[in-house]
Amino acid sequence: MANSDPIPRDQAPPSDSEETNGADEISEEGEEEEDTEYEEFEEEEEELDPVRERERLKSIFRRLSTDPVHVRVHDVVIKGNTKTKDAIIEAEISDLFKKPRTVQELVAAASIANARLKQLDVFDSVSITLDAGPAELPGTTNVVIEVVEASNPLTGNVGVFSKPEARSWSLEGSLKLKNLFGHADIWDTSGAFGWDQSLEIGTGVWVPRFKSVPTPLSARAFLLSQDWLKFSSYKERLMGLNFGLLSTNNHDLSYNLTWRTLTDPTRMSSPSIRRQLGHNVLSALKYCYKIDRRDSHLRPKSGYAFSSTSQVSGLWDLRGLKFFRQEFDLRAAMPLGFWNAALNVGLSAGAIFPLGRNFTKLSTSVPDRFFLGGHSSLVCSLGGPSSLLGFQTRGLGPNDMRRVLNLNKDEGSSVQSDCHDFVGGDLAVTAFADVSFDLPLKIFRDAGIHGHAFVCAGNLAKLSEGEIRNFSTERFLKTFRSSAGVGVILPTKFFRVEVNYCHVLKQFENDHGKNGIQFSFSSPL
Amino acid sequence: MGDSRSSGDRHLFLVARKPRFGLPTACPSCLPVYLYLKLANADFTVEFDSSFPDSDHIPYVEYGESVALNNEKGGVIELLKEEAILDLNAKHTSLAIPDLVSTKAMVSSWLYEAILYELWIAIGGDVAHNIYFSDLPWPIGKILHWKKIYNVKKLLGVTKVNCEERELEIYKKANEAYEALSLKLGDQVFFFDNRPTDVDALFLGHALFVLHALPETSELRSNLLKHDNLVKYAEHLKAELQLDSTPSSTQPSSSSKDASTSSAPRRKPSSGWGAKPNPKPKKEKTEEEKKFRRRAKYFLATQLVAVLVFLSLMGVPGDSEMDDEDAVDYDEE
Repeated sequence: MANSDPIPRDQAPPSDSEETNGADEISEEGEEEEDTEYEEFEEEEEELDPVRERERLKSIFRRLSTDPVHVRVHDVVIKGNTKTKDAIIEAEISDLFKKPRTVQELVAAASIANARLKQLDVFDSVSITLDAGPAELPGTTNVVIEVVEASNPLTGNVGVFSKPEARSWSLEGSLKLKNLFGHADIWDTSGAFGWDQSLEIGTGVWVPRFKSVPTPLSARAFLLSQDWLKFSSYKERLMGLNFGLLSTNNHDLSYNLTWRTLTDPTRMSSPSIRRQLGHNVLSALKYCYKIDRRDSHLRPKSGYAFSSTSQVSGLWDLRGLKFFRQEFDLRAAMPLGFWNAALNVGLSAGAIFPLGRNFTKLSTSVPDRFFLGGHSSLVCSLGGPSSLLGFQTRGLGPNDMRRVLNLNKDEGSSVQSDCHDFVGGDLAVTAFADVSFDLPLKIFRDAGIHGHAFVCAGNLAKLSEGEIRNFSTERFLKTFRSSAGVGVILPTKFFRVEVNYCHVLKQFENDHGKNGIQFSFSSPL
Repeated sequence: MGDSRSSGDRHLFLVARKPRFGLPTACPSCLPVYLYLKLANADFTVEFDSSFPDSDHIPYVEYGESVALNNEKGGVIELLKEEAILDLNAKHTSLAIPDLVSTKAMVSSWLYEAILYELWIAIGGDVAHNIYFSDLPWPIGKILHWKKIYNVKKLLGVTKVNCEERELEIYKKANEAYEALSLKLGDQVFFFDNRPTDVDALFLGHALFVLHALPETSELRSNLLKHDNLVKYAEHLKAELQLDSTPSSTQPSSSSKDASTSSAPRRKPSSGWGAKPNPKPKKEKTEEEKKFRRRAKYFLATQLVAVLVFLSLMGVPGDSEMDDEDAVDYDEE
C-alpha cells in the first residue's frame, strides 16, 4: 500500500550535489529543483495509487463474479452462541459448505445458510463472513458465522389466522419461549377463539431436528371445543396430543391421538346425531403432500397448486374410530392480459370410508365427514372441499329432521320443527372459477383492492350405512348446488376482507342457500 | 299379558346399554324400561349404545321423529304413560293407585339408591366396568369411571367420615323395602291385581340385576335372597318373558335407520306424542323485525368495511418520509 504522506525535506536523501563544493549556488539551485521534481513525482505517484487501488479492486470483484475463482472451505467458525449448541448450528449448515468449489458457489451457500439460521427464529441476527484461510494453505477460506441470540426469549403474539380444520378464522394469542435448552427449541402456549364459537387452548414444543432425525419435530397438547348446535345439534370437545413427525416444504406427516366427546345439551338432535353422541378415540396418521407454484397465495395470477391429504385412523386401539379419509385439491391460475386480471380455477374432492368387516354397512363419524358451505375464500384456501359461497356453514347436503315439538297436547297438534341437522357427506366434490381484476381507480389499485367474479358448485353424498349401493353418478351430478357472484377484496393490515354478492343458482330442499351480500374474513398473510 | 293401549301399529326403538350377565341389557336404569315394553307386549327393537356410558339420557325410546329421553319428565316410563303410548297402569282401579304410587316411590328411591351404592362404591369396579366402559379405550374408561364414582358419592352424600353410617342406612332401607314388597307380593304373579304395572317393571329390573349381575359377596344380593317369593317372582317372570335369549338388536353404528338425503321429500310429522322441550321455542318474528335486523346488520357491516378501507388507504407513516428527511439533511450537510 503506498504511503500517502510526503517525505519531509530535512529527511530528503543526500543528493550527489552534496559532494560538489565549487558551484554551491548552482548546486543548491539544482538540489532545490531536484527536490521539487522528486516531491512532484511522489505526489503524482500518491495521486495515482488510490485510483490504481480502486481499479485493482474492481478487477478482483469482476473476476470473482464472472470467472470461476477456485476456493476451498478450510474451517467453519461459529461465534456468538452462548446458549445454542454448536451442533444445532452446524447441523443446519454443514452440508452447504462441503460442496462449493468457487467463490460464487460459496457466496450462494452462505446466503442459504443465513436464511436457514434465521428461520430457526432463535437469533436476533446472523452474519456470515468469508475470511482468508491459513497462510500455509493458499486457496482456502474460513467461514465465520456470527450469531446474536435473541435478547428476549419470551415473545407474545396476537393475530387473526385462518384455520382450515375449523373452517373459519380465529383470533389467536400465543406466548413463545425460545431456545430454552439450547436446541433451538421453541415452546409455545396459545389460545384461540374462533368466529364459529370454537375455543382452543394448546401448548407445544418445536425443534428443528432431534438426534438423527433431520427434519423438524413437534409435539402439542390441545383442548378444543366447538359448537355445532346451530347446524348439526351437537357440541364437540376434543382433547389430545398431536405429533409432527415429518415436515418439509412439500411433505407433512403427523400423528394425532384425540379423545373426542359429542354432546347435545339442547336435547333436540335428530336420530342420526343422537346415535353419534358419546366418546370416541381418534388415533390417526395423517400425510399431506402440498405443492404450490402459484405466484401468490392471496391473489394468484399464474401457476398451479396441488394438495393431497390422506388420513387413516384406528391405529392404536381396536376400539377407536376406524376410517380412511382422502382429499384432493387442484388449483390453476392464468393471467388474462388486461386490467391485471387472472383466471383461477379449482377442483376439490374428498371421500371417507369406514374400515372393518362389512365396511359398506358401517357408519362414519359425523365430525370426520365432509361439510360444504361457509364464506371462506375460494382462491386462498387450499385443503380439500369445504367452501361454497352463497350457502351457510354446513348449509347443504344430507340432513335429518330434528325432534318434533308437541306444544298442544289437547288438540293433538304439533309444531314441525323447521330445523334440520346437517349430518355431512362421505363424498364431497367442489369446483370453482374466479376472475380477479383491478378496479378503475388508482387509489384502489395502489391499496391492493381488487374485484372478482366467481361461479362455484359443489355436492355431498352419503356412502356409508349401505347407501353406497344407492349411489348413482348421474344423480350426484344432477344434484350439484351452484352459485355465482361478484365482490370486492380488501387486503387490510389486520384481515383480508371479501365482500361478495352471491346469487344461488341451484339448491335443493332444506339447503340453507341465500342470495345477498356476504362477508368473508381471512388472514392477511 | 299386559295391556298396551295403542302399541299395535307403532314400532318403537329402544336404545339401551349392551347385554351382559344373561340379561337383555345389563344397565340397572335400562332394564326396567326394557321390561316395561316387554310386559306391555310392545313392538320394539333394541339398539345398543356403548360409547356414552356417562349420559343420563340413555335409555331412550324413539317413535318416528319423537323421542322419550330418560332425563326428561321423570323418565321414559313416565313419559310413555303420560303420552298414552304405553300405560300398564291404565286398567287398574283408582283404589289401587295410592298404594301403587307409594310402592313405586319406595322402589324408585330406596332400592335405586341401594343399587347405585352397591354397583359404584361397595363391590369395586369390575361389574361397572363390564357394563359401561369395556367398549371404550382403557384411559377414557378409567377417567369416566372415576368421574361416575365421584358423582354417585356426591349424590348419595357419602363421604370418608360418614361412609359406614351411610352404608348401614342404605342397606336398612333396602331391607325394609324387600320386606314390604315381599309382604305385598305374597303368592301373586304381579304386585297389583294380578296385572303387570310399572312397579313390576321397576322391581323386576332391580331384582334381576341384583341376582344376576352382582357377585355372591354382595350384601344387597344376600338380603334379597332371604325373600324366597321375591326371587321366585323374578325367575318366573324372566322365564315367562324369555329374557334368557339374546334380544334381536342392532348396534347404533350399523343401524338401518337412514338419514334423509337432501333431495328426499320432507317427512310429515306423526300426530301423537312428543316431549315438550326444555328450551323455549323461538318466538315468531314479525316481518318488520326481520327487516329491521337485516338492515341493522348491513349498516354495521358497511361501517366496518368503511373503517377498514380508510385504514388501508391512509396507511401508517412509512419509511419513505423518513428517507426524504434524511436526504434533505444530507444535502444540507
